[in-house]
Amino acid sequence: MPVSAGYVSREAATNLWRNRLMTVAAILTVAVSLALVGSALLLKQGASQATVQWQNGVQAIVWVNPGASTPQANSIGGELKDSPYIKTCAYRSQTYDYDEAKQLLPADELDATALADYPSSYRCVLNDPSQAPAVYQQFTGKPGVYGVKYPGQQIKTMQSVIHILQWVFLSVAVVLLLSASVLILNTIRMAIFARRREVSVMKLVGATNWFIRLPFMAEGMIQGLLGAAVAVLVVLALYWGIGLNATKTAANQGNIIAQMSLGGWEVAGTCILVAVVGVVVGVVGSAFAVRRFLDV
Amino acid sequence: MIKFQDVTKTYKGATVALRDFCVDIDKGEFVFLVGPSGSGKTTFIRLLLREEMPSSGRIWEAGKEIGHLPKWRIPYLRRNIGCVFQDFRLLPNKSVFENVAFALEVIGRPKHVIAAQVPQVLDLVGLAKKRDNLPHELSGGEQQRVAVARAFVNRPLILLADEPTGNLDPTTSLGIMRLLDRINRTGTTVIVATHDAGMVDQMRRRVIELDRGVLVRDQPHGVYGIDSATAAAGAGSPTGAMAEQAPADEYPDSIAART
Repeated sequence: MPVSAGYVSREAATNLWRNRLMTVAAILTVAVSLALVGSALLLKQGASQATVQWQNGVQAIVWVNPGASTPQANSIGGELKDSPYIKTCAYRSQTYDYDEAKQLLPADELDATALADYPSSYRCVLNDPSQAPAVYQQFTGKPGVYGVKYPGQQIKTMQSVIHILQWVFLSVAVVLLLSASVLILNTIRMAIFARRREVSVMKLVGATNWFIRLPFMAEGMIQGLLGAAVAVLVVLALYWGIGLNATKTAANQGNIIAQMSLGGWEVAGTCILVAVVGVVVGVVGSAFAVRRFLDV
Repeated sequence: MIKFQDVTKTYKGATVALRDFCVDIDKGEFVFLVGPSGSGKTTFIRLLLREEMPSSGRIWEAGKEIGHLPKWRIPYLRRNIGCVFQDFRLLPNKSVFENVAFALEVIGRPKHVIAAQVPQVLDLVGLAKKRDNLPHELSGGEQQRVAVARAFVNRPLILLADEPTGNLDPTTSLGIMRLLDRINRTGTTVIVATHDAGMVDQMRRRVIELDRGVLVRDQPHGVYGIDSATAAAGAGSPTGAMAEQAPADEYPDSIAART
């Protein structure tokens, strides 16, 4: 027998209102736990995003001493080309570096420097980014080399911090999700208890089991969904609030948050996942309550 | 309509509620189920509703054997059975109309059917004017009429009543019995478990007596007990509106059958 959606939603809404304090508690717990899940997911995606950025971009820069002669610079170029670690190298003249500095530095700092102060450089992409230290070893101290820079250590620290945060978030979230399920289970149990007379009459006159169960299950699902909605708002607030929606430009290359920036689809995916988890938590909690306490 | 064949029901292996119980009830019969407390009357009703399963034996209802009914079919079985209890079991926060309508709503009847059938059945039980009252605003007799209306609104094949007059005074009880009799005349099989000796004696319908789970008497046009039978016979023809239902010339048969 088909159960009318109108009936189910009407009954579920009545129950939710009758039990509103417990309902709010359940919804908030779902919201907090799902917000944690959502943030952990954003963080994880952002971190892998940033790693991709760092790994595909310039991985080592060999700065040429501003005072070095052209043959010295050329020989560095030649050695880089022959190095087994290097995939490609691009030569950037002093003018190029000066122009880049103009974009990155504030005007007063720029004024304190002159074109001649800027070293020319080789921007290199490595065959394997983890070999950056070897490149550093090979070229540091060579004649004409001012210095070798690679972002290795920063990335590693960043990644491990994010990794740990991610696990902390997720484990706290799992514990909270469990307690959210139990809270939902309890609200449904109270709803069943409040309506036991109705349920017994329904059984007596021949209502089908699903007809009796569905409003209670819908109630749990709505609690999960409302909690998830709040969590989605939190995730979106996080996304815009800390600037994860920034577009990558040369200007914000040094900004770690900007490096982690995510596209709309990734955020939408996270939100959908949060909503699905919310519904699942609600349905599982109420299904347990219905099985355990609704004797049909 | 209803057939019990060697039905035994034991609870937790020890208490025997019914023992080798056989009975045949035809469509349109009116049956009183009598016997002291613990004699198995309620078990009989619970078996009919399939709230319990027989420990052994077979039960047919409306041509179907209900022992092998899968669980999901039970609600459909119950739609053929109306039920009335001593404690009315009305929903306190619903009006008379809503209480009766609820029985149709929860089996998915469309609104226009509810709008047509509920006033009709409220008319039958004589509560058309109280349709918007809440149960606590009604007398016990009126509440039981609502319960009967709810049991009958779906036009079940069988109406079960477990001590329907247990909480009511004799005059009110008579009214409820008249109502059940009226429902019986529409062709519905009515089974009433009762301790109300006066009522049974007055109505002179088939009486099935149980004692400690065993069928001790099955008598057409019977009376509540042997003593009251003698009294009733001595008093002559029973009175009351339902008495005319039972032709007077059958009384000697019933008395003969009992002895």
